[in-house]
Amino acid sequence: MDVATLSFGRKTLKILGKQKAIVAVALILIAMLFSSSNIFTRNHLFAFLVVAAPDLVIAFGVTFAVICRACDLSVGSVMCLSGIIAIQLINSGVPVFIAVLIAILSGTVIGFINGFLIVQQKTEAFIITLGMGMLLKGVALFMSNARPVSTQDPAFNSISNSTIIGLPSIVVYMLIIGVLAYCLLRFTSFGRNCYALGGDYEVAEHSGINVVRTKWAAFVITGTCAAIAGVLLSSRINTGSAIYGDLTPLLVNCSVVIGGTSFAGGVGGIAQSGLGIAVMHMLRYCMRMFRIDGVLPGINQHVQTLVFGIVIVAIIAMDCYAIKRKKEDV
Amino acid sequence: MLKQEALKKKRLNKVGDFFMEYLVLMAIVALVIVTAIVEPRFLTANNFRNIMGQFGPLSFTALGMTFIILGGFIDLSLPGMISLIAMITLSLFDVIGEVPAMIFGMALGVFLGAFNGTLLVRVGATTQAKALFITFGMSQIYGAISQLITGGHPISRLFIEHPAPITQNLSSGTIGDIFGFSSFLDSIPITFIVFLFFLAILFIFQKKTVLGRSINYTGGNFLAAELGGIPTKRIMVMIYSICGFMVAIGAIAAFSRTPVAAPEIIGANYERDSIMAVVVGGTSLTGGRGNVLRTVLGVSLIILLSNCMNLMQINSHLQEVFRGAVLVTAIWLDHRRHANA
Repeated sequence: MDVATLSFGRKTLKILGKQKAIVAVALILIAMLFSSSNIFTRNHLFAFLVVAAPDLVIAFGVTFAVICRACDLSVGSVMCLSGIIAIQLINSGVPVFIAVLIAILSGTVIGFINGFLIVQQKTEAFIITLGMGMLLKGVALFMSNARPVSTQDPAFNSISNSTIIGLPSIVVYMLIIGVLAYCLLRFTSFGRNCYALGGDYEVAEHSGINVVRTKWAAFVITGTCAAIAGVLLSSRINTGSAIYGDLTPLLVNCSVVIGGTSFAGGVGGIAQSGLGIAVMHMLRYCMRMFRIDGVLPGINQHVQTLVFGIVIVAIIAMDCYAIKRKKEDV
Repeated sequence: MLKQEALKKKRLNKVGDFFMEYLVLMAIVALVIVTAIVEPRFLTANNFRNIMGQFGPLSFTALGMTFIILGGFIDLSLPGMISLIAMITLSLFDVIGEVPAMIFGMALGVFLGAFNGTLLVRVGATTQAKALFITFGMSQIYGAISQLITGGHPISRLFIEHPAPITQNLSSGTIGDIFGFSSFLDSIPITFIVFLFFLAILFIFQKKTVLGRSINYTGGNFLAAELGGIPTKRIMVMIYSICGFMVAIGAIAAFSRTPVAAPEIIGANYERDSIMAVVVGGTSLTGGRGNVLRTVLGVSLIILLSNCMNLMQINSHLQEVFRGAVLVTAIWLDHRRHANA
């Protein structure tokens, strides 16, 4: 009896441990039932998705890097930079379409350079992308002169601020990129090679996978996605500025891991990453909305940060602890 | 004939190795020469005093970070820790006096560091990537606590009633102010002396004690060190505690420099710059290779770089680009060096 309940408890814990992100989302939503502000409406859902969309797009790209057992901490600066490039080009008379294309290509080029340094020269991904982020932040500051830049062109503004079949367009773009990334990772040989080389680099190399090219391509995808997110974000708020995106790279990488794409490489997927980002953004959004009339007017902003930090530490610590237990069991 | 050729090649390799090994030193020498030619103001006594005064918070935090990177880990909780320690120490000035408050701050630093280390050991985060995200989360937590304590308001030193002579003199004072004699020495800033003091202690600790060398073994190969009987978990807690202590010193140096300390900006970017200083100095990120003297080289390069760029009146945003470029190049070259060896 005792043993049975123990093993049942352990089993439940194990299942819940694997689906931490779903549990977290459920807990947040249950907590919101007690709030006086009703967030279970269509408008709230759209507002939430619009806010989360740029981070989701970045996360779809970063998933490729994390599955290949690397990470990319330059995505925040790439995001700033591509928005600034797009707006500066439009202001100097370049057609919107070409300006956006060049901005996205800038991310591709940065991803290519990252890939060269990390894969071809075999340097440590996390420190080289950290340095790259610093460098690009400087470029973004230099280009915008540390001032927010904006454009009068309505065409650029409408990229993210119009509606397509009843949905905000930024959400539609996010979904398209998500589906593309999902298919790329799930149904192509490139995607399967990513999982293989993340699982075991040496084995993948000896099985005849072109590991260098595959991992390199993963970084190119990551850079491109970050640049797309930058264009979407700067179009939504009609501002390109070098000041945001300082915490983005760490938060996005963190969310990807929280979703279930492990740092050990080789497991995870686009859907899980989306869930991870959803946890982070939902936590923020719901904490901002949470209030109980007459009892709690709202949550202090610093308490929000505190809860946020505790959730990050708790989820990643649980992840580590599960791996540790698994090792000890074997 | 063949032997001679081989010898020659070996000698050439040796010269090349020397250059590669002390690349940062070469870079510093080149930087000094170029700046001295372009800008004569560089070689004035005033500027040297200026440079020595720059060995402030960053040099302390970088010394602490050296041990963590040597042990094969990483700590991103610096911004939150600096903010929390600085705010608590400053708010204790009026309650228990200056020196007790500073001692409390240092103890708090050791405690926070030990907490980080223990947490990582307990949950089994024995790789750099896991440590990266957990300490990032810890930074958010510490920063939030610091904001809650101060209510988000900056603390101004001008409103502290209790006399705080150490804080006032730490970054602006020189040796001459204390001892009153006038010679060349009297223009050396006090922070620089404090820096040399901690550098000497940490250098002896790392090179001459068993514990210090165990850090290198732990970073070199965690599993082998554990099998070899080194208490790796205790070493982990220890290196995080050392870093916490040095961060506390850095926090004190940071708030002594500015009349108004704001919780959200006082610690910003220290984690990034410390890691950069350590890695540029040549301490390997994979752990086990490097020492505190290399970090001094790294810190010197960063300080000299910004001093030279300021003298040459380079746009501050462009300076950021150069700094990032130096970091990326340094890591790249460092990696090539070890890959060839």
